[in-house]
Amino acid sequence: MRRSFIGTHKWKLGLVVVGALFAIVWSGGWDSLTGQSSKSDRTNDIFSPAHSSIAQAVSHFFGYQPRAEQPIAFPHNVHVGEVQLACVDCHISVERGPVASIPDIRTCWNCHAAPLKNSAEIDKLKTYYDKKQDIPWQRVWGWVDEAHVRFNHSPHIREGVECSTCHGNVSQMTVATRTMEHTMEFCVTCHRQKKAPDDCLTCHY
Amino acid sequence: MDRRDFIKASAATGAMATLASCGNPENQLIRFIPEEPLFPGIATWKPSICSLCSAGCGLLVRVMDGEAQVVRNGQTGLLKMALAKKLEGNPDHPISRGKICARGQAAIQVTYHPDRIRQPLRRSGARGSGEFQEISWDEAMSEALSKLNGIASAEDRKTLGFLTRPLDGQREVLVSQFLEQFGAAPATTYEVFGESVLREANKRSFGYAQLPTFDLARARYVLSFGADFLGTWNSPVAHSVAYGEMRQGRPGVRAKFVQLEPRMSQTGANADEWVPIKPGTEGILALGLAHVILKSKLRTPSAAGKAGELIDGWSAGLSNYSPEAVATQTGIAPARIERLALEFAEHGPALAIIGGAPLAHTNGMFQALAVNALNALVGNLGKPGGLFFTPWPSIAVGSKAGRGLRDLAEEILSASKSPVQVLLLNDANPVFGSPPAWKVAEALSKIPYIISFGSFLDETSTLADLILPDHSFLESWLDDVPESGTSMSVASIAGPVMRPLHQTRSMPDVLIEIGQQLQRRLSLPWKNFEQMVRASVNVLPEELSSLEKIHEKGGWWSEAPMNQPNWVQTARRQTPASEAQFDGAPSDYPFHFLPYPSQAFLDGSLAHLPWLQELPDVISTAMWSSWVEINPKTAQDLKIAQGDIIAIKSGHGTLQAPALLSPGIAPDAVAMPIGQGHQNYTRYASGRGANPLSILSGMTEPETGAHAWAATRVRIEKLERVEQKSPLILFSGGMREHEETHR
Repeated sequence: MRRSFIGTHKWKLGLVVVGALFAIVWSGGWDSLTGQSSKSDRTNDIFSPAHSSIAQAVSHFFGYQPRAEQPIAFPHNVHVGEVQLACVDCHISVERGPVASIPDIRTCWNCHAAPLKNSAEIDKLKTYYDKKQDIPWQRVWGWVDEAHVRFNHSPHIREGVECSTCHGNVSQMTVATRTMEHTMEFCVTCHRQKKAPDDCLTCHY
Repeated sequence: MDRRDFIKASAATGAMATLASCGNPENQLIRFIPEEPLFPGIATWKPSICSLCSAGCGLLVRVMDGEAQVVRNGQTGLLKMALAKKLEGNPDHPISRGKICARGQAAIQVTYHPDRIRQPLRRSGARGSGEFQEISWDEAMSEALSKLNGIASAEDRKTLGFLTRPLDGQREVLVSQFLEQFGAAPATTYEVFGESVLREANKRSFGYAQLPTFDLARARYVLSFGADFLGTWNSPVAHSVAYGEMRQGRPGVRAKFVQLEPRMSQTGANADEWVPIKPGTEGILALGLAHVILKSKLRTPSAAGKAGELIDGWSAGLSNYSPEAVATQTGIAPARIERLALEFAEHGPALAIIGGAPLAHTNGMFQALAVNALNALVGNLGKPGGLFFTPWPSIAVGSKAGRGLRDLAEEILSASKSPVQVLLLNDANPVFGSPPAWKVAEALSKIPYIISFGSFLDETSTLADLILPDHSFLESWLDDVPESGTSMSVASIAGPVMRPLHQTRSMPDVLIEIGQQLQRRLSLPWKNFEQMVRASVNVLPEELSSLEKIHEKGGWWSEAPMNQPNWVQTARRQTPASEAQFDGAPSDYPFHFLPYPSQAFLDGSLAHLPWLQELPDVISTAMWSSWVEINPKTAQDLKIAQGDIIAIKSGHGTLQAPALLSPGIAPDAVAMPIGQGHQNYTRYASGRGANPLSILSGMTEPETGAHAWAATRVRIEKLERVEQKSPLILFSGGMREHEETHR
């Protein structure tokens, strides 16, 4: 059979790939490939839109959103199921504005000033509080900037959309996980069913 | 391998690379616990007061939560807090009327400036070296207290000095009370562009020791003697809004605007008729116009009342000011003088304005009195389209004047032991702004201990031994009673729109605390400045129940008639000298030097804000550095091309800057914007351009002692060796009109 392009040129291509890797490692060190930077991006006073590492650039390009690794294994099932908290008791701004918000540690401390239960995770909470630090929760839901999606929670809550409709059965979860993908199809289907606006500018502006 | 496999292989490599980068918590800064209730993503608008110039425009600030990188307890981390995001004019505020100038827009950069002083500093190197070490507030306060306790004995108390930019409102009350109770002299106020000449002239002509307010919106003829009232002078935002109404607010009425000045200013560029006039002769022209009006019997001398009586020869019809005589002195043709005079008298409501450089001559008092008389002659005081004085509400306080800076410096230098042993410095930069003849830097070096409250290191605050940094204005309690800009009575009040970003403390609160902790405790009746400002509204004619609304609104304002004039009975004064004196003989120094407040930096105190550095000059589009405006014919005669770096030499100093050919300036004058030339003022302003204030003579207006900053003459020298590196940068192509020959 006819030899493919890559087959014909595999040595040259191989050289290009190796050369590129070499250049990357040379310029940024091995760390730049693995995504570890020696200094946090935030302490750099000079603003730059560049990515902090090749790995980050690549994942951004592929639209890959890594799974969140939470500092504390927060059990929604305990809080929503046993303690019977409503979503909005902690995610307070969902009815008022665009963002639902992740509560800061003071919300947790309202109840957990006394431990309430023997648990390594609650101990972690105490450690953060004693160090006067907020818990560095990682984002679970959202879109990449390139999607140009602007989402506003409050009209949805006003219309009576249940949190679980888009976020899944959180009351059964421990740490929040993405059990569904918020593709445009996901949003537009519901918008059309409920006769909500479905023109482009509703979400992309 | 075929193409498809290659792509799959690349994807696999990419994915593996990304997995290694996911969620690396060690790279993140620690997050502090928020210090206030927050509703993320929801913005509110809070009132504030712009503090960058003295106009006192009311602002609305958009505040939303955000993450700031701050230091708490010695640790750097992220703090989620309500942050000021954008400044706009408050639509309800009588001064700003919903508008704001470029400087006001840039004011937000004061709060977030990377070079802001974030906690107390103690000098660790030689004075002036700029070497400081960070210390805690406890250490800083105990050091300040020990110094002040050290001069607490009966003779030593007078050796406490306070040098500040002019203060008003409750800040002024607090500082005066503090100094009075301590036993020290009143504060010395310093600013580059003082208005003491105009206030004194208004007091004599009209009974109001106050800056004037102009009802431009209803005027039909505006004659401005060199006042940059749309750009930098008095209350530019209020004027600009009213100017728009003057031009477009009345169907079929455009009004006529005439500007007289030796150099076309931003305001002058809007004029229907621009008239070049010799520097320092504006008052003579005003009386020349009055002469024509009186001669034509369009008005009688008595119509000008007290303002007219102050001018020698007024009742006799100003015989010395015929158009021919005035033409020789001012450079304006007699026919033009006659026409302008008749237009002014016949197209009412007419308004004459004088401000800026014309008042900064040795004859500034005469200039102001002459223009006041012209206004009085056409009877526009308190009338629509005329001259007003903003009614003071009952909350207003007068200021007790301390020694002027020039006198203070002289006193310090002439004494063997400095009469000021401890100086408190609040937001004043005389080392940059005052003329070399006043020797301010030398005087300051004789003061053993200096405490500065400023937020930035500049030429003056870098001489401090201890720095107790103030909040930025968005983080402070503010109050302001505008002196001009509206015919309503206004008291602006605003609380902080955000919590302090850094470890700063409000200067009034620091003074109150010092007062409480001195060995000889002061009895200041306020717990803190917030309490003081809140209590100050109690004197307003409002129900106490509406006081909370005042805070929501950003202040109190109400239609009110002008206060009664205050005719202080004084002996009949001689009319001040009508001719301006200049520093430097014309043979040695052939050019008038016209420094002017730049639209971006005013007196240079705003040069540290990067958005203002990015602002091109409105007329020439020059930016990023300094330049000298020269008439193109003069440049041709001296063989100077656009952009050539030239030396400007006065009897007091030399500076170098590139030449900018400008047809809008008289052939015997050169002009320079003020603001650049800082040696030391944050990363954005240091070492940029040249400072025209540094070569000015120390001449003053004799009656008020005000600095006559327009009175210096210079000569131009081409350079063999160029030290000044900054080239001339024009944002756009620049002006093409240097071929134009007629004026």
